[in-house]
Order: sequence, then structure tokens, then C-alpha cells
Amino acid sequence: MIVRSLNGLGDLLMYLGTVLRSALGSWRRREEIFDKSLLVIQQSLATTVFAGFFVGAIMTLQFTLQVQMFSALSYLGALVTSATVREVGPLLIAFLLSGKIGAFTSAELGTMKVSEQIDAIRCLGSDPIREVIVPRFLGIIIASFFLLSFGLLFSFFGGLLMATTFSGLPWEQYLSQIPRVVSGFSILSGVVKCFVFSLVIATICTYRGYTVFGGAKEVGDGVVQAATQTMIALVVADWFTTFILEGLINV
Amino acid sequence: MIAFKKVTKSFGARTILNELDLEIPQGKIVFILGMSGTGKSVLLKNIVGLLKPDSGELYVDRFPVHQMSEHEMMDVRKICGMVFQQPALFDNLNVFENVAYGLRRHFELSEEEVSRRVEESLGHVGLKGIEAKQSHELSYGMKKRVSLARTIALKPKILLFDEPTTGLDPISTSRVNQLILDLSNQLGTTSLVVSHDMESALKVADHIVVLDKGHLLTQGTPAEMQESTIPLIQDFLAEVGAP
Repeated sequence: MIVRSLNGLGDLLMYLGTVLRSALGSWRRREEIFDKSLLVIQQSLATTVFAGFFVGAIMTLQFTLQVQMFSALSYLGALVTSATVREVGPLLIAFLLSGKIGAFTSAELGTMKVSEQIDAIRCLGSDPIREVIVPRFLGIIIASFFLLSFGLLFSFFGGLLMATTFSGLPWEQYLSQIPRVVSGFSILSGVVKCFVFSLVIATICTYRGYTVFGGAKEVGDGVVQAATQTMIALVVADWFTTFILEGLINV
Repeated sequence: MIAFKKVTKSFGARTILNELDLEIPQGKIVFILGMSGTGKSVLLKNIVGLLKPDSGELYVDRFPVHQMSEHEMMDVRKICGMVFQQPALFDNLNVFENVAYGLRRHFELSEEEVSRRVEESLGHVGLKGIEAKQSHELSYGMKKRVSLARTIALKPKILLFDEPTTGLDPISTSRVNQLILDLSNQLGTTSLVVSHDMESALKVADHIVVLDKGHLLTQGTPAEMQESTIPLIQDFLAEVGAP
């Protein structure tokens, strides 16, 4: 089990290396990459905005109960924004994107694999990694990064709206304490996580689709594996990124 | 010429090709027959390097395929076109772009030349005038013929067909068989056809090879096959009502 998992991880890293090498020369395919990014954004923007908004709103609800116990309601905005930007927002929105973008991509690539389109590309003189994987891989990274950032922005608005309507905190007070807690480093931390999570989603979902072997059942298995492995990898990546970033701030 | 020398290919514990020795003569139409799972498609995929033999030697023309890298295989794939079991058309491209795909990647041709060869290839399969259609607008039989046009557009010396007539109506089957004959007669193309279709094999093949459990069971001309007393061959012949 452990050996098989390590073998799988090794294969995944080798795949990532191959994709990154191929991606280096992908500037001439920028229009296709832009199109893929745009497609992913169009497919997921509404869901991400919706989810982001409610993440902020839920966080406000939860923190309201806590800070009221200590008569520290004026810190609500700072706490909600800090927790959302640094931790909860990127992770929850990445989960959502892994289900939406990741499942779509792994199913699409898996179907191309079992219907012999990938083999046909090789036989017709091209490299499927360069032709098929790289545009999707970079498209997902660019789009996920944009969507995660956009989701975080809306989580801020969700938190603000909930604070003014439910918690009874004027918006000026909600905003006033944010600069004290949410530093440039907090925002950088959120941005770095958005990038890392985008990379995780793009890598696992394209890999799972590309390595499907068999028929329709195996495509289904590949999609399920992509979804579950991406979520586990996101949690691990979150812990690892936090560990590194907190380490940096303490240096 | 294509030569298999003690080629073995396994997937996990399952051996598909088992020390296979086989020579495919140049310029001939060779049908590979056998039950499902006997390694017919695996044999074709080894020739174009989509799969690699676990052991043994495999030569295509002058190329030692068994020891060539993916990059080096591009030279083999220029002379060796494969028509897949499934149409394998690219969903996001129309018919013209599908047929032009290999032409643009394997060769440096002008757009006029690409258009001419796309039109010519679609003409060969009886599908002129559908260049602008998307693949989802085509029937399964039409997709298979477009797939065939995409391969023959490259004018390969060797054509590999993986069950080219499966799912086709009798008229389309007859057209594909005639096309295989024409390409062989006019261009001297070597055609290797994996099939269950004994009727087509008896009509079209110069030579028939029968595989069983990854081994070469027997081979010969269609006339020799009709005289065979091997039970599997007799079963195939009985299916088409041949004596």
C-alpha cells in the first residue's frame, strides 16, 4: 500500500515535470490557453462568487457568537477577513473548483483517452502533452487563480453584509480594525495559497484523466479518484503552505 | 516489410503477445484474424509505438521500433498510418481540420496543398462536401470514414486498420474494402488489417494470418485458408457460409 502510494506519487511528479517542460515552449499557444482559461472562468464564475459570498457570511455568523462573548464585536471584520483570506476562503473555494473544473477536465481527458483520440494525436505526428494537456493545465491554473481571488473578494462582501444586517455592526466599524490584523503578508499568504491550490487541481485532474486506461467505467473511476485525491492533496498542501509561510514570518 | 521476432507483450500477469514471430511482406494486403483478446490490436499498436514490446525485436521498414524513443517514432509514424477501431475524431475540430491535422504536423505543406489533399482523401471515402461539419453531426459510419480519410491523407507506405468495417453498413464496408484494394494497387501500400470479418478477408486479402492466444496459429492465402482443417478457421468460414 505504502510502496504503491509512493510509486503513484513518483509517477505524478514525473508527469508534472513533463508538463512543466512542455509548458515552457507554450507561448505560441497563448490564444488557446487564453480560450481554455476563459471557458473555465465562464463555467465557474457564478458558482465561485456564490460560494465565496456565503463563506464570508458563514464566517461572520460564527465569529459574531464568539466575539460577543468577549464584547469585542468591533474586531469582527478583522477576524473574519483574516481567517477567510488566509485559510478558509482559499481552501473551501478550491474544494468547490476541484469538483467543478477538476471533474470536468478529468472526464474530458479520460474520454479522449478511451476513445483513442490521444493515440490518434501521437500517430498524427504530435505530442498529446503539448497539444492537449498543457493548454488545459495552464488554463486551469490561470482560471483557478483568478476565480479563487475573485471568490475571496466576494467572501469579504458576504462578511460585510452579514455583519451589518445580522450582527448589527456599522460597516465603518467592520472595516476599521481590518488593517490592524490583515497585513500585506496575510494577503500574500492567501495569494500564494490560491496559486498552490490551482497547481494541485490542474496537476491531479489532468493526470487522472490522461492516465485512464480501459472504457467508460474506468473514466468514471478516474473522475472519482481525481475528486478525492485533489481534496486530500488540497488539505495537505494547505497545511504545508501554512507551515512554510508561518515559518517565514517567524524568521 | 514488418518483422516481429519473438515479440512478447504483457499487461500485468496477462501475456497478450507470446514470443510472436511474424513477417508482413511489402505491398501486400494482410488480414490478421483471431478471437477477441488474442492480441490483434496490441500487435498494431506495437508497430506504431503506442505500445512497446516487453521483449523481442520489431522492425518496420528499416526502423528498429523496439528500441526507438517517442521522438524517433515520428519518422515511423510518417510512413505508417493507423486507422483506429473507434473513429477517434477530435471533437473540437470540424471534418476539414480533422483530416488536415496530420498533414500540418507531419509535413510542411502550403494551405492550398493541404486543402487539395483533404478534398482528395474525403473523395476516396465518398464524403466530399462535408468539410465544414462538426464530428457530432456525423453518423458513426461517416466518422469511421473521415477517420480513414485522415489517415490516407498522409499517403503512408504502410496502412494499419483496426477493425475498419465494424459498425459499417454493407455498402460502406464494400467501399472500405475497395479502398484498401485501390490503395494497394495504385500506391503499392502495405495494408495490415485486423478484423473479425472473414468475408472481407476472403475478398480482399493477399495473405491471411490467424492469431490464437498471442501465438501465430497459421497463415496463408485465402484459398489455402478455405482448405484449412483447423477448427478455429472452420468456425470463421462457417460464419460466412464459405465451404
